[in-house]
Amino acid sequence: MGGAQRSARKRKQATPSPVAAARAVGPDRSKIILGVVAVVLIAGAVIGGVIYTNNQKNATQDKSVRVATVAVDAPVKRDGGVVEVGKDSAKATLDVYEDFLCPICADFERANSSAIEGKIADGDLKVRFHLVNLLNNRSDPEGYSTDSANAALLAADEGKFLSFHKSLFEDQPAEGARGWTKDQLIELGKSVGITSQAFADGVRSGKYDSLVSAEYQKARSDEALQQDFNGRKGFGTPTLATGGKPIDTTNPNWLDDLTK
Amino acid sequence: MTKASVLDGIGTLLRLGLAAVWLVSGWIKVSDPNQTYIAVQAYDVLPSSLVGPVAAGLPFLELALGVLLLLGLGTRLVAVLSGLVLLAFIAGVAQSWARGLSIDCGCFGGGGPVAEGQTEYPLELARDIGFLAMAVWLAVRPRTWLSVDGRVVKAS
Repeated sequence: MGGAQRSARKRKQATPSPVAAARAVGPDRSKIILGVVAVVLIAGAVIGGVIYTNNQKNATQDKSVRVATVAVDAPVKRDGGVVEVGKDSAKATLDVYEDFLCPICADFERANSSAIEGKIADGDLKVRFHLVNLLNNRSDPEGYSTDSANAALLAADEGKFLSFHKSLFEDQPAEGARGWTKDQLIELGKSVGITSQAFADGVRSGKYDSLVSAEYQKARSDEALQQDFNGRKGFGTPTLATGGKPIDTTNPNWLDDLTK
Repeated sequence: MTKASVLDGIGTLLRLGLAAVWLVSGWIKVSDPNQTYIAVQAYDVLPSSLVGPVAAGLPFLELALGVLLLLGLGTRLVAVLSGLVLLAFIAGVAQSWARGLSIDCGCFGGGGPVAEGQTEYPLELARDIGFLAMAVWLAVRPRTWLSVDGRVVKAS
């Protein structure tokens, strides 16, 4: 700011009276005015931009999760941090590792859920859903992965897992944006027919958060579940596995082959 | 052609070039705020409460710098600010490289974690240092043609 001080001094020397100063705007003064204009424009753009972007990112605010109902009559059981859907007598067991914020998981669900539900209903397939919180810091504010997985485990306790699970994938919040809040998750629970206070309390308190995190750590550290992602080996979502080994879902008949 | 007018001409090209850089990079980031959030977060530098505001404000800061450079309004000040922003970018990329993070800088859209071996830190740093050199020139010698600065100062 030495420059500004210098110019101020110069201006003082150069302008003996305020009247003369008003009459003749010197080059120094106009430079200062230009600088002020530039700073005001930059500050205005940044502040306006932050407000605008925050409105854009909060697309899930003041809305409800669209309800998608699954009418499959199958046993639903929570086994720790895993939700088991289907008969124990099923021919095959499919392990599905998903994160409710993961867009590819939503694509997978859209492409395969009706076929999987059909096989569950026929008693051919038992699915073990591992809801992990791999993308927990990818929502703004953070935490949607854990909140949604916890709520889904609680929905399983109430026997409403499939509809809850499907609704969250069909109306998935964008990565990097605001997720669904705990209140919105509770509201979705009500919409799929969960009336118990235990569900609402469990969502609010994060009853199964530690089970969700433990399930993710278990999956992540399981060498057998690691796959190749653009040359990097690791655990990602969605991962489909049976008998502890990943399934190649690029094979169009993978599901039929599984229940053959 | 005098030496001064050659330097004015070079300055004008640099000013418009740097304006284009800011406008393009700012516009791409503004168009995809969620991706920008992921890109800022991937640097793993800011506390999580600051990632959102920075990701929201940065694209508009870039656009504002671009517009002001295009107009040639407050060129020296805007060049200094551009230089500071670029230094922050360079520091961000350098720390990611030094810490062995695998991220894309998200300089012109994209950004976020990438596979190991797909990082392009040297290229990203070289590019930002090039832009920084343009900003330094304009900070040292902001006189250019076709600028609001030139018109206002001449008129008064």
